[in-house]
Amino acid sequence: MPRIAVDAMGGDFAPEEVVKGVARVSLESDIEMVLVGNADRIQALLDAGPYNPELISVRHASTAIGMGEEPREALRAKRDASITVATRMVAGGDADAVVSAGNTGACVLAAAKNFKLIRGVKKAALASVYPRQTEYPGQDVFGLLLDVGATIRCDAVELAQFAVMGSAYARRISKQPAARVGLLNMGSEETKGGEVLVEAHRRLRSLPAVNFVGNVEGNEIATGRADVIVAEGLLGNVVLKLLEGISEVATSLALQAAHESWRWRLGMAMLSSGIARMRDLTDFKTYGGAPILGFESLCIKAHGRSTAPAISNAIKVAAKAVRDRIAPEIADAVAQIR
Amino acid sequence: MSRAEPEAPAPAGGEPAVTFRWDLDKTYLRTEFETFRQLVRIPFESAADKVHLPGVPQLIRALRRSALARGERPYVFFLSASPPQIGTAIRQKLDLDGIEYDGITFKDQLRNLMRGRFKSLTEQIGYKLAELLEARVRGPAAPREVLFGDDWESDPLIYSLYADVLSGALSPARLADVLAALAVERLAMARIERAAEALSEAGHVDAVARIYINLERRTPPGRFHAFGARLVPAFNSFQTGASLYEIGLLDAEGIPDIAGALIDQSGYTVERLRNSLDDLVRRGHLRPDTRGRVVGILERSGVRAAGARKRLRERLRAALAEWRERRRRAAVDAPAPVAIDYEHILQDWSRRGLRGA
Repeated sequence: MPRIAVDAMGGDFAPEEVVKGVARVSLESDIEMVLVGNADRIQALLDAGPYNPELISVRHASTAIGMGEEPREALRAKRDASITVATRMVAGGDADAVVSAGNTGACVLAAAKNFKLIRGVKKAALASVYPRQTEYPGQDVFGLLLDVGATIRCDAVELAQFAVMGSAYARRISKQPAARVGLLNMGSEETKGGEVLVEAHRRLRSLPAVNFVGNVEGNEIATGRADVIVAEGLLGNVVLKLLEGISEVATSLALQAAHESWRWRLGMAMLSSGIARMRDLTDFKTYGGAPILGFESLCIKAHGRSTAPAISNAIKVAAKAVRDRIAPEIADAVAQIR
Repeated sequence: MSRAEPEAPAPAGGEPAVTFRWDLDKTYLRTEFETFRQLVRIPFESAADKVHLPGVPQLIRALRRSALARGERPYVFFLSASPPQIGTAIRQKLDLDGIEYDGITFKDQLRNLMRGRFKSLTEQIGYKLAELLEARVRGPAAPREVLFGDDWESDPLIYSLYADVLSGALSPARLADVLAALAVERLAMARIERAAEALSEAGHVDAVARIYINLERRTPPGRFHAFGARLVPAFNSFQTGASLYEIGLLDAEGIPDIAGALIDQSGYTVERLRNSLDDLVRRGHLRPDTRGRVVGILERSGVRAAGARKRLRERLRAALAEWRERRRRAAVDAPAPVAIDYEHILQDWSRRGLRGA
């Protein structure tokens, strides 16, 4: 059974919501979890709600890295930080994967420090799932975007590797045998985007292991045209935050309008089930977390604002990724293009 | 009020003895009565239909054996709020499980009905507390008692009241106030007061060593803090066994017996048992050194953790982490016994909308 190390101290609502999420999973699955963090605080929180102790162990870590801390400096200064201890556990074979809602930079750096890159992989990529339209029955309602922040700039080989890793992940997790891969660019023509993206396009087109559908423009991200969208970290992160921001602004504007006008209130009441469905789709709680791909070990990064349901979904994603042998799948796929 | 089997005679001339009092449903048996259908089915179940909780028969047998090995006379009593009509199936089930017991008490609902005592039909606290106290008056009055219940009804409160009446921590006036606040039925209250008075005359004894509450409903263990360190909320029989081992009431052989039953019959793994032990340590109900001894017993008995075949480097790393944790934990004092604030508990019940008697 998968054993997931969970960074109990990471996230805006940690450790309360993280512990609740773990407790929830312990009652509804057989996933074994290790809560890493301040043991006394963790136990006090466990004591306050229902949980199954048989599936939960606690590993004490004396410090934690805050959401606003500079990752590199914090990791250097806090050697016993919960995210470091959790990743070390995975590296040492005491757990199969790590889940953290904490400081993204610290999470990526801790993984880079303690995990080995898969042979042939130049850089790891932080992936993120996002809601999008579907184009055919059975298509996953979530697309995969990578990289969203593990890198800043990438070369063409690295972007091609991201495509291979994303395809392998979609193949295992979303059960899409030939996931459609797109390259995020400023135009559909293969000559657009500058030297790196032109070269990346050329490489991707020549890879038989990748079902490459060409360049994807910004207005196509939320369509079902591509299941996996590849971008360098800077661009991917901007896109991800933009998607989140639009969702929040739309909700906020609608609420404000409803507050000011009874017509809007009435309209929203009539549309309430549709709005709820939209909110479900755009709510990061429903998909929990996304993986850092490229390491031999697995790390799932949950949203910093994750509450208990998001944490429990992230743990389930991690367990599924372990069961579905994501890392070996990626290693095989990367080996084929070397 | 109830019909009890003749109980065992009192231990003669201060004979060393220990009494184990067990609730039946949800503590020994996995009785399902959450739906009306399940409730109706209970009287028609045969002994073979009845299912015990994992490891509990092994625990009871080991407790008896351990007591005899120490030269103490073990007494095992069952107290149930079920009607005596299901007694035959229960006795057969206990026989099937190889449980030797000294008495079993059922609640005679038919008699309550015939005499028009309708409140007695639903009352648990008055019924159980009266039965416990009267059983102690009748004897045996063993110097040590251990009580086993569950988190479905009012066992934590009933057992704590019983323990405090025996020890004298609860004065007759305060007991009367608590019972009145719980709206205990008049006849049950009179029985309780009579028995408490008899026990007071015989001399107070702090007899109840531990109260184990099986967390069948997964009630948050923090809800039981108000009952003090004497009450141990336990998620499974292995936790209960480890705690009893620590206080010397269970011998080392009992540990693998219980663990084996959980692994063989209920799909537990050694890792899960270890997690259970660690949980008990973190909650302050087991000392870290006892945890180490219990793990040692398991390993010597051939039950090994899943990680036992790991590379030496990984095993050393795990051992180091465990040692650090034990050192950190060793500095944490075990919780001191507290005087139970029943008024506060009742207020809390009232706030959460729980019923009294």
